[in-house]
Amino acid sequence: MSNPLVVGISDMKLSTRPEDVIATYSLGSCLGVTVYDPRARIGGMVHCLLPSAASARERARRNPFMFVNTGVAMTVRRLVDLGADKRRLVFKAAGGANMRDDRLFETGVRNFQALMRLLERNGRRLAARDVGGTIPRTLFLYLDTGRVIVRSLGKESEL
Amino acid sequence: MNRRDAILAACGSVVAMPTCVRGAGVLMNAPDADFAGLARIIEHDPGLTANLLKVVNASVPPSGVPVLTARAAFETLDSVESLRFFVSTGVAPHYVRAIEGYDQAPEMFLQHSVTVGVASRELARALGIDAPDHVYTAGLLSGVGKLLLGAYVQVDLREILRLVFDGGMAFDAAEQAVLGISHAELGSIVLDRWGVPGPVTRVVRHHLRPDGYAGRDVVLDLVHVGNVLAKMIGVGLGADGLNYEVSTGAVGRLGVTSAVLDRVAADVVVALDGLRDLFLACADGGCRE
Repeated sequence: MSNPLVVGISDMKLSTRPEDVIATYSLGSCLGVTVYDPRARIGGMVHCLLPSAASARERARRNPFMFVNTGVAMTVRRLVDLGADKRRLVFKAAGGANMRDDRLFETGVRNFQALMRLLERNGRRLAARDVGGTIPRTLFLYLDTGRVIVRSLGKESEL
Repeated sequence: MNRRDAILAACGSVVAMPTCVRGAGVLMNAPDADFAGLARIIEHDPGLTANLLKVVNASVPPSGVPVLTARAAFETLDSVESLRFFVSTGVAPHYVRAIEGYDQAPEMFLQHSVTVGVASRELARALGIDAPDHVYTAGLLSGVGKLLLGAYVQVDLREILRLVFDGGMAFDAAEQAVLGISHAELGSIVLDRWGVPGPVTRVVRHHLRPDGYAGRDVVLDLVHVGNVLAKMIGVGLGADGLNYEVSTGAVGRLGVTSAVLDRVAADVVVALDGLRDLFLACADGGCRE
């Protein structure tokens, strides 16, 4: 694999180059979301730390990618600006893990719920997911085909 | 000799903590090294901090009060030359190794250590707790046992992970079952041998299970939740992943809610951005073998 475009925490990367690969490493309770237009072969990946910007509007204004609800929406907007068709976009997600038996914070669960609410509100569906549990995940998006790979504990699987 | 004793013996011969010393080494050897730059490297590096505390507490404290933080140690040293001397007396570069046993790159260990320190401190700030200064040091050093196990012991993770995923055990409980010792206990024992003071080693010992400590220690509770937060953020996760338990006792004593944790998580991510250069300095060259 050529050097991937690396997405940090609360960060987003997108590309219009089919030879590119976008990656984010070590997703814990954070949610990694890939968005891809298979005809235009344009895609992006966002690595969101928290579910909602509702209680942190100033922070979301400075960095919308920190939150699921603003981060995914902003990623879609950027892709559409580059020529993607909103109706063709394919959404996939990984991460959203939790500490063992965590009933106190449930950040991973809340992150995934925020994504599902956002998609539902916009009449979209999630094409694939690998979320929950207690394992860390690394996520790759291949711009040539839209293939999404999840790596965890040394094993890879396609989403 | 049982497994626990063999591990303690293996780690007993470690004279200095393995660490990524590249950044500090460059600065220490530079003819125009500045005190502030060197101090910044050391205070965010678990290996160098442990070493500094070891050396300073072995020779300096005229007041008899143990030195608990790198910053307090710097106050006893007034020049680059003295800082160089104190650090280099204990640093043994040939002990620096990758953390193979736990499927974690050295720079990831550094990032996780710093994240726990920053998270513990930011949590205290968000909760309005006037925490002792050593909360950062204790957080920074809390995971040293994993570094020691990964670098000096042939750990067969398969059996530990089998107990975690098939047996439903938390990772530290599985370590205890397979190795006879958890990385938390190992870290505290080795740091204690090095002369790192009790208020720090106590936190290292109990940071995964704070309710196992009979007394009340706000630093311990902060570092426990700080460690949880660091793992949730995903910085420096190895094969152990998020397979640890959150102490409802520590959370309750501190009064942490989801809203507080979210706010602190955001603060920590922003704070880590300011330390990116430290992580890159370590990652670029890797650790010396």
